[in-house]
Amino acid sequence: MVSRIVRLTLVVAWLAACSSAPVVQAPVDVPAGDPLLGSPSESLWRQAVVAREQGELAAAGRLLERAVTLVPDSSWLYRELAELRLREDQPRAAEGLARKALRFAPPTGAYRAALWQLVATACARSDDPDCVALARREARVAQKGARQ
Amino acid sequence: MPARKKSSAKRPKRAPKKAALRQPPVRRWWSWRFIGQLSLVLLVVAGVATAFLDAWVQKRFDSHQWQLPARVYARPVELYQGRQLSRDHLTRLLGLMRYRQDGRAAAPGSYALQSSRLLLHTRGFSDSDGGEPARLLSLELRDNRLQSVVDSRQPDKQIVARLEPVQIGSIHPRHHEDRVLVRLDDVPPLFIGMLLATEDRAFHEHHGISLRGLARAMMANLKAGRLQQGGSTLTQQLVKNFWLTRERTLARKLVEIPMALLLELHYSKEDILEAYLNEVYLGQNGARAIHGVGLAARFYFGRPLEELQPHQMAMLVGLLKGPSYYDPRRHTERALKRRDTVLFAAYEQGLLDGAAMAAARGRSLDVVPRGSAALYAFPAFVDLVRRQLARDYPEEVLSSEGLQIHSTLDVLSQYAAEAALARHLKNRDSLNGAVVVTAPHQGDVLALVGDRQARRAGFNRALDAVRPIGSLAKPAVVLAALESGRTLATRVVDGAVEVRMEDGQVWRPQNYDGESRGSMPLVDALAMSRNQAIARVGLDVGLASVLEALQRLGVQRDIPPYPSVMLGSLALSPFEVAVMYQTLATGGFRTPLRAITDILDKDGQPLGRYPVNPEQVVDEAEGFLMQWSLRQVVLRGTGQSALRQLPADMVVAGKTGTSDGNRDAWFAGFSGDRLAVVWLGADDNSETRVSGASGPLPIWTDLMAELSRRPLVLAPPAGVSMTWLDADGKRLSGKGCDGAREYPVRDAYRPRERSSCGTVDAMQQGVFKWFRGLFD
Repeated sequence: MVSRIVRLTLVVAWLAACSSAPVVQAPVDVPAGDPLLGSPSESLWRQAVVAREQGELAAAGRLLERAVTLVPDSSWLYRELAELRLREDQPRAAEGLARKALRFAPPTGAYRAALWQLVATACARSDDPDCVALARREARVAQKGARQ
Repeated sequence: MPARKKSSAKRPKRAPKKAALRQPPVRRWWSWRFIGQLSLVLLVVAGVATAFLDAWVQKRFDSHQWQLPARVYARPVELYQGRQLSRDHLTRLLGLMRYRQDGRAAAPGSYALQSSRLLLHTRGFSDSDGGEPARLLSLELRDNRLQSVVDSRQPDKQIVARLEPVQIGSIHPRHHEDRVLVRLDDVPPLFIGMLLATEDRAFHEHHGISLRGLARAMMANLKAGRLQQGGSTLTQQLVKNFWLTRERTLARKLVEIPMALLLELHYSKEDILEAYLNEVYLGQNGARAIHGVGLAARFYFGRPLEELQPHQMAMLVGLLKGPSYYDPRRHTERALKRRDTVLFAAYEQGLLDGAAMAAARGRSLDVVPRGSAALYAFPAFVDLVRRQLARDYPEEVLSSEGLQIHSTLDVLSQYAAEAALARHLKNRDSLNGAVVVTAPHQGDVLALVGDRQARRAGFNRALDAVRPIGSLAKPAVVLAALESGRTLATRVVDGAVEVRMEDGQVWRPQNYDGESRGSMPLVDALAMSRNQAIARVGLDVGLASVLEALQRLGVQRDIPPYPSVMLGSLALSPFEVAVMYQTLATGGFRTPLRAITDILDKDGQPLGRYPVNPEQVVDEAEGFLMQWSLRQVVLRGTGQSALRQLPADMVVAGKTGTSDGNRDAWFAGFSGDRLAVVWLGADDNSETRVSGASGPLPIWTDLMAELSRRPLVLAPPAGVSMTWLDADGKRLSGKGCDGAREYPVRDAYRPRERSSCGTVDAMQQGVFKWFRGLFD
């Protein structure tokens, strides 16, 4: 009987923690294992970051696309392109690229959660509430995975 | 006539002398007063005409805009540490770009080979990312791979560098004028010196006309009894080229002289010289007129003007006298004489010393053979570029504003595709073919071959041969089936099917081998390309779902709603098939195929971009399941022969297709970084005797072996698990159990029931027991 109470308490506490868990926009960095790291295209990505900070969005986009040519399975590069499209006010394109980033992302974790948040932001800009709801839900799932 | 003779006979022969004396004095038709008045009128007319001419010359010169065709460039070649690149391929590329081999790679456009090291002096270029400076690179090339790429000024730092993009085409105005603009500052001084020494030694002294030259020409014309020489200065030649006809008439000369004087009055010698260098006519390439020394340098010598050597400069200057008469490709001896005359003139003027002149005279003409340049070498691809451009830019803009079109063509991929097709069709005269190669994740078209003779411009089979795709349509049926809740293990029946059509006809699909094999897993129906099994699944799922899947994969053409579409009666071009398989190659992302990345204006400033914009149209799980099932086609289905030729670690997937009567044979497939579609067929639509596996697949395999660097990664995404199922595909099973096979299965469709054989998932069992304990 004591065992059952303890177990029920544990389950309730766990569910409560899950239901109230806010989606935290974790500070995002290139995920470990992304093929971008250590590859020649890393320098192209860094140049793209500089160009973007200087407001040269077209140049940044071209540099990132060149980097993708060298490393077509880097989740981080698609994420960077998605961020760029958002700045260029192309939310549909940003959504597609963020989803593409998810395709190559680790199955769970803060990085994945951040990508779903990016999808949610893009969908919100496109006035697509269903997409926003789905993306936020997925972000929570990924965030949970990160905690575990 | 006789009457007139008669009357004249009656006229007195001699008038009386007195009558003659009485006549009033004959009034002269001219008088000094009349001449004065006439002169005044002529002076006024001449003044008005000069004023008019002056305004006209200024207006036309100031507002003159060169008609510059749009130029299409291939993708710049990226050089970076680790890149696979053989020495043969690199030197072939450098040859195509007219890089000159010398000992030190001292100037842009040259290289030096030193064992495994290669010094490469690149040419700079503009791009929307800021472009690339001209720089001296040091490359280490071993084992068909770039081991190191450094700037010679910073030898410790690995860099990503680019070779400039090679021009592969241009889009001309209707009058077919073509030119490459040059700035006077960029023209080698020796070239200017040779030009003035030969054409107009007093250029910097005269005011538009040379009286000495005119006198000399007049004497020569008098001797010849016709207009033979013009005695024109460069300014007069410019006026003639700019505004007048090429006829040698006195009237033209009379207009040309005041115009030349006016031009000199308003514009500097530098302005006039630069205009001359860009305007002058220097030859003909078919319908295309070669204007300006910038384009002529490329047309005759395959390299920019700044890279020409003295003997080449002299030839170019010599051509001014008569581009056709002294054409170095057609009249070698004549051209050599003319070139040597120019070299001697340069020597006379002190531009070359005796040794330099002798050295230059000792050189051959060094003209590149017509048609050896990349320009017009890839007509099928440039055709695609034109079509994509035509959607967004009016023809006038394309043909006159000097746009720089940066395309996605990868020259080495293009060569590989052309060679593979030509090699396999060598002894099959009745067949033609097409190849499309793309980088699926970016949607870049890397190569496009539209004819077995790739240089032949004409019917572009890659874009316009719309032919039944056969079994290439089957993945759409499987996708619709998976999306309806079936798994790859779901049993389907390969047996007789009959569908009565609205017109009363009965559709009875047959298998390739004429047999029916009974029950089999869905994935086997696709791998073995079983028509009856796939038709049954498609009919169960519903034709509408299959058509919708086809559209989602990227088929934009109207699809006739007949069940035969599921087995490939649908007709598509190879390019459209590439669009469709692109979605499968990326795991469900439809990425528009692009032939263009950027458009720059004539000054290299970005004008437009064609960015990478994928759209997810298939769920990640189904996208993976489709890739996995197409992998089974290669592992144990109709595409098995690819395994024998490809390296063991090169994971690829794809599908064969053969239309009725073997009229069309296809293979479409992909690796981790390349997608290729190959079609073979006869232009008269006759039977080919080849199937997708025997014809296109070997071509595709050759291509992949050469081009692909990344295997397809088949890791199940979240929500899909590799699962052992029993022979029926309905119960969980285990490795080693009778008839059990491992399939990727969506967690949502994973069976709960277990077969009597197989391992028990201990962890699952434990979790289940733990929760059950809550309520026991």
